[in-house]
Amino acid sequence: MLDFFTIFSKGGLVLWCFQGVRGPAATAPVNALIRSVLLQERGGNNSFTHEALTLKYKLDNQFELVFVVGFQKILTLTYVDKLIDDVHKEFRDKYRNEFQQKGALGLLNGTFDFKDDFMRLLRDAEESSKVRAPTVMKTFEQSLKSQKTVKCMIETRGEKPKEKVKNKKNKGSKKDGTEAVAVPSKASAADKQLSAAGDKEELTKDEILQKNREEFFRRHMKAGEKSRSPKPDAQKEKGKKPRVWDLGNSNAKVLDYSNSATNGSAEACPVEEFDPDMALGDKNREPGRLYDLEYESDDEAEEEKVVQNPSKPSVKKGGLGGMFGMLKGLVGSKSLTRDDMDPVLEKMKDHLIAKNVAAEIAVQLCESVAKKLEGKVMGTFTTVTSTVKQALQEALVQILQPQRRVDVLRDVMDAQRNRRPYVVTFCGVNGVGKSTNLAKISFWLIENGFSVLIAACDTFRAGAVEQLRTHTRRLNALHPPESHGGRTMVQLYEKGYGKDAAGIAMEAISYARNQGFDVVLVDTAGRMQDNAPLMTALAKLIAVNAPDLVLFVGEALVGNEAVDQLVKFNKALADHSMAQTPRLIDGIVLTKFDTIDDKVGAAISMTYITSKPIVFVGTGQTYCDLRSLNAKAVVAALMKA
Amino acid sequence: MAGGLEPHLEALRRELHGPAVLSVLVALIAVAITFLIWRFVQGRRSSRKAVLLLGLCDAGKTLLFARLLSGQYRDTQTSITDSSAVYQVSQDKSTNVTLIDLPGHESLRLQFLERFKAAARAIVFVVDSVAFQREVKDVAEFLYQVLVDSTVLRNAPALLIACNKQDVTMAKSAKLIQQQLEKELNTLRVTRSAAPTSLDGSATGGPAQLGKKGKDFDFSQLPMKVEFVECSARGSKGEEGEADLEALEKWLVKVA
Repeated sequence: MLDFFTIFSKGGLVLWCFQGVRGPAATAPVNALIRSVLLQERGGNNSFTHEALTLKYKLDNQFELVFVVGFQKILTLTYVDKLIDDVHKEFRDKYRNEFQQKGALGLLNGTFDFKDDFMRLLRDAEESSKVRAPTVMKTFEQSLKSQKTVKCMIETRGEKPKEKVKNKKNKGSKKDGTEAVAVPSKASAADKQLSAAGDKEELTKDEILQKNREEFFRRHMKAGEKSRSPKPDAQKEKGKKPRVWDLGNSNAKVLDYSNSATNGSAEACPVEEFDPDMALGDKNREPGRLYDLEYESDDEAEEEKVVQNPSKPSVKKGGLGGMFGMLKGLVGSKSLTRDDMDPVLEKMKDHLIAKNVAAEIAVQLCESVAKKLEGKVMGTFTTVTSTVKQALQEALVQILQPQRRVDVLRDVMDAQRNRRPYVVTFCGVNGVGKSTNLAKISFWLIENGFSVLIAACDTFRAGAVEQLRTHTRRLNALHPPESHGGRTMVQLYEKGYGKDAAGIAMEAISYARNQGFDVVLVDTAGRMQDNAPLMTALAKLIAVNAPDLVLFVGEALVGNEAVDQLVKFNKALADHSMAQTPRLIDGIVLTKFDTIDDKVGAAISMTYITSKPIVFVGTGQTYCDLRSLNAKAVVAALMKA
Repeated sequence: MAGGLEPHLEALRRELHGPAVLSVLVALIAVAITFLIWRFVQGRRSSRKAVLLLGLCDAGKTLLFARLLSGQYRDTQTSITDSSAVYQVSQDKSTNVTLIDLPGHESLRLQFLERFKAAARAIVFVVDSVAFQREVKDVAEFLYQVLVDSTVLRNAPALLIACNKQDVTMAKSAKLIQQQLEKELNTLRVTRSAAPTSLDGSATGGPAQLGKKGKDFDFSQLPMKVEFVECSARGSKGEEGEADLEALEKWLVKVA
């Protein structure tokens, strides 16, 4: 049933492999597993789907091994988890020497002849899953129902239905009749037998109904009113009588509350017991003064004191033992368990969330780090906290490292060589800084000697075109054509408001190609990710024009919204694209970075969700405020207490 | 109180005059010398006994590592952590080097380079000769990042660019790879130094200028010795046969 089972070291050497009958080579799916799950810190749940296969894996952090099993996605094998655990234990115990003593050389030179053990474990696992076979249904003969007659199942008052069962049992066992004999025929046979035996009279239908009704009443009446004859029922039918309420009497005068004498006159109002204390509340207040809100800090302080007092003696008691325990924890090697790590991970998760990382991403990250550290042996003088912090820091740096090359200038040079413009599209929600950062990026490109065409595809927002025109004018003033060999470095391509953005973009690109511009920067209107028609329009723009770089502009102030925005943008781009491999977001521009001091979690959220790099960071509103991301600095700011 | 102290001071002074002083001084000097020697030896020993295997993903580093150490062919997967082992350079020389195989994946490579670059005596940069044409920009970028690293520039470990997978017919020759890399690194010098500065002020390209300004980049302009060899970790006879690693092994002997 399994396609393959591999055991390999984290350093990359395959120690043992089991190839199923029809499975293809195991390397490609396992590589995909490693790249997308383990290296992107998504190791929270231990299964992964790749094309037609489901892969389940387990990490051994003590000896740095990975166990992977692959099987067809359509099968649901229940024994896989247990199989992995068993194989893990057995393999580790069998080859413990190789791992411990010789390190990499041991792995290289050792022969891992595990096939027989594996087949045995596989057989055991398969058998254990077959134990709970579906239960066979009882035959009719075996059930209790065949023992009863049909008549005795009708409940009648005063009859004892069970006494018939014994007779029927004997008669039933004598018969060799199979279940194929239908119940009615059996019932009729029983009837005939009963009528022959003369046990019961045949009751008429009406009398049966009457008897049932009496049964019903009898059961639902309270104690004491057991048997009611049907006669009182008949009496009530005689005449319609006015309903008499218990609490009211039929005196109309009493019911008339519209006593005009009491309305509006103070004397007629009955003198109640007026308790001024209850109405006014606080006796000690000064009349006319407005008091502030009372803080409840005093109560809280009291509570804390109360809580602390009982805890103090326990601290004293555990003091000595705790001290030795701490020392024991510092020296010597002990392996990390989930319980050790949980409190530390909780604290780290809260710390990350306090630093503006999206909540679900913080949870997934901590899960992944826990999986990576479980069972790892700590060195001497390292505490659990420091190990977890170290691992988390490495994981964060890993996430922020770009998965692909980030070098816009190099790609622009390539496009220049092919005599076509390099097209960059900026998309994002409203107000994140697309136009401002577009201007900054065009300034940077001009400084490096590339000519830029700005396409104003924001045809909705009032003043968008004028804004870009102002930027163009300023940039041309900063870099006049004279200093660049008579060439205007920046030009604006606009068609006013209200037109179709995708059409303007296409015209702008062909204009750039004709005029020989190196880069085209396309500015789009901001849109909310939930706005379906606008998302469709954006997807159309990108699908039709096929830009070289699609940049998502996101502000660093965003919190959990970042996840939602990116997921929905990517989904919209994927859904509305006709191509086999749709163009998704290629990079992220993180803006307004100067407004957060060290709450830099948005960078983590965005790169984790898309696994695309952060290409630029905007740190202000002037043209020079464009930076590139430094992973170590961001992680340092994130882990700072 | 001073009066109380004086007789004590007198006693102390009397004690110090005499052979005791000499022995104390000698002891202190011995400690100092031992300390210095220890530091020196420590420095010598720990510095730079390692040969790093770097390269992109799927270049063949782990297989090369396995072949050098055990001579056998092993199946490999993408490495997640480093592996290191002591390698006997040749039969007669008793010098050992520590071979360290680092993962090539983009998110891990810089981290591991940071960890091991100080101990590097030599660097073997493994290049996939078959996929080179497609990956030339990525190869050049990684090579650039290795070359402008301040520690690497300071220590100037010997650099070998091993053009792996020569057993495949479509593999590019070492000469072609050298020319292409020089051209690419020439361009990268310009683009990387022009990239926006990093968030905390340190420039991404590093203030180090690779090679000489004004002239086209050449590997001979680097402070370290660079060589190009062709090799094949898999071996032309398939998995059972020997790997074609002669040039690599000779270089290792030279470097150790």
